[in-house]
Amino acid sequence: MVKKPGARPSARSGRPEPVEGRNPQRFRVTALGNGRYRVSDEERHRLAYAAGPPTARWVFLDGRVYVIDITASMDGLQERVSHDEMALASPMPATVAAIIVTPGQDVSQGDVLIMLEAMKMELPIKAPRDGRVKAVACNVGDLVQPGIPLVELE
Amino acid sequence: MFRRILIANRGEIAVRVIRACRELGIASVAVYSDADAGALHVSLADRAVRIGAAPAAESYLSADAVLAAARDAGAEAIHPGYGFLSENHFFAAACAAAGIAFVGPPADVIARMGSKIAARQLASEAGVPVVPGETPADQGDAAVADAARRLGFPVLIKPSDGGGGIGMKGVRDEASLLTAIGQARREALAAFGDGTLYVERLVERPRHVEIQILADHHGHVVHLFERECSLQRRHQKIVEETPSMAVAPRLRAGMGEAAIAVARLAGYRNAGTVEFLLEGSGNAAQFYFLEMNTRLQVEHPVTEQTTGVDLVAAQIRIAAGEPLPWPQEHLLQRGHAIEVRIYAEDPARDDLPQAGPLLLYREPSMPGVRVDTGVTEGGEVSVHYDPMMAKLIAWGDTRDTARRRAIEGLRSYPILGVRTNVPFLIALLEHPAFISGDVDTGFVDAERSTLVANLGGDPPPDALAVAAQAVESTPPDATRSSAGLDPWGTLRGWRG
Repeated sequence: MVKKPGARPSARSGRPEPVEGRNPQRFRVTALGNGRYRVSDEERHRLAYAAGPPTARWVFLDGRVYVIDITASMDGLQERVSHDEMALASPMPATVAAIIVTPGQDVSQGDVLIMLEAMKMELPIKAPRDGRVKAVACNVGDLVQPGIPLVELE
Repeated sequence: MFRRILIANRGEIAVRVIRACRELGIASVAVYSDADAGALHVSLADRAVRIGAAPAAESYLSADAVLAAARDAGAEAIHPGYGFLSENHFFAAACAAAGIAFVGPPADVIARMGSKIAARQLASEAGVPVVPGETPADQGDAAVADAARRLGFPVLIKPSDGGGGIGMKGVRDEASLLTAIGQARREALAAFGDGTLYVERLVERPRHVEIQILADHHGHVVHLFERECSLQRRHQKIVEETPSMAVAPRLRAGMGEAAIAVARLAGYRNAGTVEFLLEGSGNAAQFYFLEMNTRLQVEHPVTEQTTGVDLVAAQIRIAAGEPLPWPQEHLLQRGHAIEVRIYAEDPARDDLPQAGPLLLYREPSMPGVRVDTGVTEGGEVSVHYDPMMAKLIAWGDTRDTARRRAIEGLRSYPILGVRTNVPFLIALLEHPAFISGDVDTGFVDAERSTLVANLGGDPPPDALAVAAQAVESTPPDATRSSAGLDPWGTLRGWRG
């Protein structure tokens, strides 16, 4: 999610607004076609790459990758989803390998509640805060989808 | 020589074998699951056969489906690649029974070397040192704990029939012993369907150094020197190189001879790798037999780049009954090679595996850099399989040249649409300890926080400027047709 500093593509023109504050450099960017871009400043040219779905642009520059949200209306979306729901859901399609906790059990922040497995890797679902397990919404062996909380904390 | 070979694998290794077949004038038959209908290996092979649904158990791991495909396609040999069926002795035996050559060792050799107990025993008989350890006859938790105490802390507890670091637990004191045994057993059962545990003395700050061997059907066995595989995270290799900084000439010769002795006593055929733990460095270092991998290794290219030997072609020639063309003294190491494994994972989020479409994927092309890949732009990284997408191998006359070339290659390797470990690999190759070669198998996990320190955070202004220009050049409603997703790639269903 793009925060304040730096250029932000405006919804109207798609042009970067002037860079201000702690980053006074200006970058001139030229589209070279086929996802390639030349980034120029006073000192040098560099090659960058960009591609993306409608809501974001993936940018490759100097060996680093940035995912930049370009839809202003997306701002704040993540804040609307409660912290618990995000933390207690699988981040990707996965299989439930083990259920570590039972309803009624007290847990501390960071405790592993559920162990998932995806792409041959273990994926722990940890308690985002201290609390008591109200319900467990999955069974061992279930294929679970992202975004759906697997444990309810009270 | 064979006329037609079926490749029982997917991803970069399937592509690698298909290319070797083409070079040797052998027709290639790919197999694929429903998730891979549009994959690179499918389009590169001369023929492709669907073998089942996306889960590996129903496709790439199904010996029956693969054998049926080989018979239908008229393949005379099957190359198993690595993983999947490559170390399954039942599959190797079934190939032999069906009159199809298995490009690998005989079934009984796979079975013996696949058992850690039998392999260790064989190594001992061959006069090769092994790390003290045992599989307790009584597998009760208390008996396993007793066995650990007899060896003395620190100990390593691991599945007897394991691999890939799954279920391996290092235990330093009595307090965590029983917990570790329980965890190791659960993971062993879940991953391998067998909860039998093995305990051994934990070698401190070990290096993982392995020796590549080739054995033909005429009694010749040669080694192709070592590979240093100490850079691992959670027991999975991520960077491999040769020669090893820790191996001096006399030690190299000793390890090579030990690997050949193991292979000879095992009646080994084809390509194999003898893995050693190395304690210390230089000629004074002590090596211990760890296990033998009865297949091609992921990291085989570093050996190819420094010896000039095409290991996959050698495997196929050996399977076809040809003798090895070189005696040991003709094999030489030249220069230095480093391989980095490119995974679809997010290093800033605890290496969480990533899946999704490859919006943009461009491989570097420059002196001394080779890329072995299984994916293409417009393709997809699937949730169903291992997240390794490709390998970049850099060669140079010196280690530092190879290292710089690897970094430059990674800096020129844009992969967009799926997070990868490329930034992490660059940080690793630039780390002072890697530059000096002072690393052990615990290095990556210990240095993790420094290596990922600069990977998070807000995009810098230059990246934002590129994003802004990209929006202008390819407005949101135009992205689907212009940003790399190939409309032809969505056409499916007509391939036999």
